[in-house]
Amino acid sequence: MIKVNNLYHSYNKDGKFAVKDVSFEVKDGEIFGFLGPSGAGKSTTQNILTGLLQLQKGDVTVAGYDIKKISNKMFNKIGMSFEESNVYSKMTAKENLDFYRKLFDVETREPEELLKLVGLRDKANVRAGEFSKGMKHRLTFARSMINNPSLWFLDEPTTGLDPAIASEIKDIIKAENKKGVTIFLTTHNMYIADELCERVAFIVDGEIKLIDSPKNLKLQYGDKLVEVEYIKDGEPNKETLSTIQEDDIKYLQDIIGKYEVQTMHTKEATLEEIFIKVTGRGLV
Amino acid sequence: MKLWHSFIKELKLSSRGFYFYIELIMAIIILTVVLFAIPEDFVSKDTEYMYFDLPEEMIDEYRADILKDDLDGKAEYVDVKSGKDVFSAEYYETDKKKYYVVKSKAAAIQIAETERPLVSAVMTLDDTGNVHYKYYLQGYETERLKNTYLVIHNLDINLLKEEVDHQVVRSLSTDYEKLTDRENVIPSLLTFNGSLMGLFIIAAYIFLDKQEGIIKAYAITASPVWMYLMSKIWVILLTSTLSSFIIVVPVMGLQPNYLLLLLLLITSGFFASSLGLVIASFYKNMMQAFGVVYLLMIAMILPNIAYFIPSWEPIWIKVIPTYPLIQGFKETILVNGDTTYILMASLGFFAGGMLLFLMANKRYKKTLAA
Ligand SMILES: Nc1ncnc2c1ncn2[C@@H]1O[C@H](COP(=O)(O)OP(=O)(O)O)[C@@H](O)[C@H]1O
Ligand SMILES: [Mg+2]
Repeated sequence: MIKVNNLYHSYNKDGKFAVKDVSFEVKDGEIFGFLGPSGAGKSTTQNILTGLLQLQKGDVTVAGYDIKKISNKMFNKIGMSFEESNVYSKMTAKENLDFYRKLFDVETREPEELLKLVGLRDKANVRAGEFSKGMKHRLTFARSMINNPSLWFLDEPTTGLDPAIASEIKDIIKAENKKGVTIFLTTHNMYIADELCERVAFIVDGEIKLIDSPKNLKLQYGDKLVEVEYIKDGEPNKETLSTIQEDDIKYLQDIIGKYEVQTMHTKEATLEEIFIKVTGRGLV
Repeated sequence: MKLWHSFIKELKLSSRGFYFYIELIMAIIILTVVLFAIPEDFVSKDTEYMYFDLPEEMIDEYRADILKDDLDGKAEYVDVKSGKDVFSAEYYETDKKKYYVVKSKAAAIQIAETERPLVSAVMTLDDTGNVHYKYYLQGYETERLKNTYLVIHNLDINLLKEEVDHQVVRSLSTDYEKLTDRENVIPSLLTFNGSLMGLFIIAAYIFLDKQEGIIKAYAITASPVWMYLMSKIWVILLTSTLSSFIIVVPVMGLQPNYLLLLLLLITSGFFASSLGLVIASFYKNMMQAFGVVYLLMIAMILPNIAYFIPSWEPIWIKVIPTYPLIQGFKETILVNGDTTYILMASLGFFAGGMLLFLMANKRYKKTLAA
């Protein structure tokens, strides 16, 4: 569904790259995630794939279209929800969707149905300008589904939403994927990546460090972490250390030798911990 | 079809904002001012300075002639200041003009240079006994004005004919009807409230959309960006046409050629709003764009000055698009206006507008995510 080879992007064409030599493939029907801290280049990549940013260097094929010769027809197959919601604040929720659906050549979904899906049914006739941030975000999200896209781009789909709504959004994403929709999502939230994605790419400073399924990653890194709580200089301390990395093993031996250990147990690594181990960087 | 939906949506949107009404409200205010505050014809008196280099009997004849129209029927003796010098002169005032008759040719010439009157003239008698007028001008008058002087007083009919054949002096054609002063301000108002406001308002619309990130959402639909831009232009064209008609119809009645007026309004509006689109593509908000928009508006207003002060009309002002626009509007409201001129101007605005529109389309496609 998506094929990217050696993609580069520099905003100011000054040799500083927001995206550097990025290559990956998204298969039909999968949920593929870009996981990385803010500023890593996730949105930049997604904007190139959807034609919002002009392709500078690299080969990109999206839904069978070469991005160099982008065609308006391509957008009949694509949906995109933005990181920052962008709806007409002077139009009601329903008017926003009513207008938007007319811009496609394919069959579209009923605005009422979509509003109900994202919990905005009561607000159908309220102007978006009066919406809270979360409500605007849900409207933007709903809008991205209106043309029944077979490829769905989601930029930080749950960021800034309260947990209950975030979980509803996740359910919608899962349900759409079950229907066969291919999904490309970006997030800096490891739980989202873990729960939704079949495969994730770890991206830092514009470079992909690794692509694998969360399951594989945990098999590879799981049970190989140990969490120790100990007292140092009268203060309680807590460390999570690897049992395969040389430095960590030495450090663990040090702790056991020098301090009073209170608890110590192996644990399954979270995606974030794996991310830190692999990239040397946190997710914030 | 998508273009139509976009247009309807833009119309709905703008009718909920306040820019939509600015033009219409302005039009109503302007109409009120034009109808109730501007007289049919201004009474501003032109001043002429003269020196009669003629035999005493002839001077007396002229004097008697002027005195017939003089308001109080007698000459006053006054001093005219010119630079450091003071010249004594006879002063006459009719209900249309003020005349100063000075006592030397040198005084007439000097006054022409320093006082910049409408006319400074020296009248002489030639060998054959004909009176000749010699005008002293400042050098910035237009050919048209110079020709007018030539026409008014040149007694050599052959020369006159030759000159007229060589120069387009439109004010001479016999079927020409002058506009009243009130009607005369209409072309300039149409240029300002129609076209220039369009430039400003479309930029404002774009900045509102940029603020809401709307254009990105539009860009990922199966509708091309040019439709988004064109739907905005249509809204501008609609409002500026409406507001123009609000002004023209009550003042001019059935005199204008409304079809040609509509054509010129639409083509020039297309030009102005495309220009607005191009400008807006370079900036994030109105604050940033303000300097450029302001300078542009000032430049566009300059031809108005030339329009109302015929003696000031430098060549370069003719390349400012509002120059042919004002002239074009004038032709549409004149009885027997110059249709060819209107059509040529419209064609020019359409072609220029198209070029700008293509440029805008390219710019917006390139800067979608910005
Ligand atoms: N319009 C822009 N102009 C210049 N630099 C930008 C622009 N947008 C993003 N960047 C820079 O590019 C890098 C990647 O940004 P982005 O793709 O938005 O990251 P992410 O989505 O992973 O948070 C960041 O360093 C950011 O500052
Ligand atoms: Mg981002």
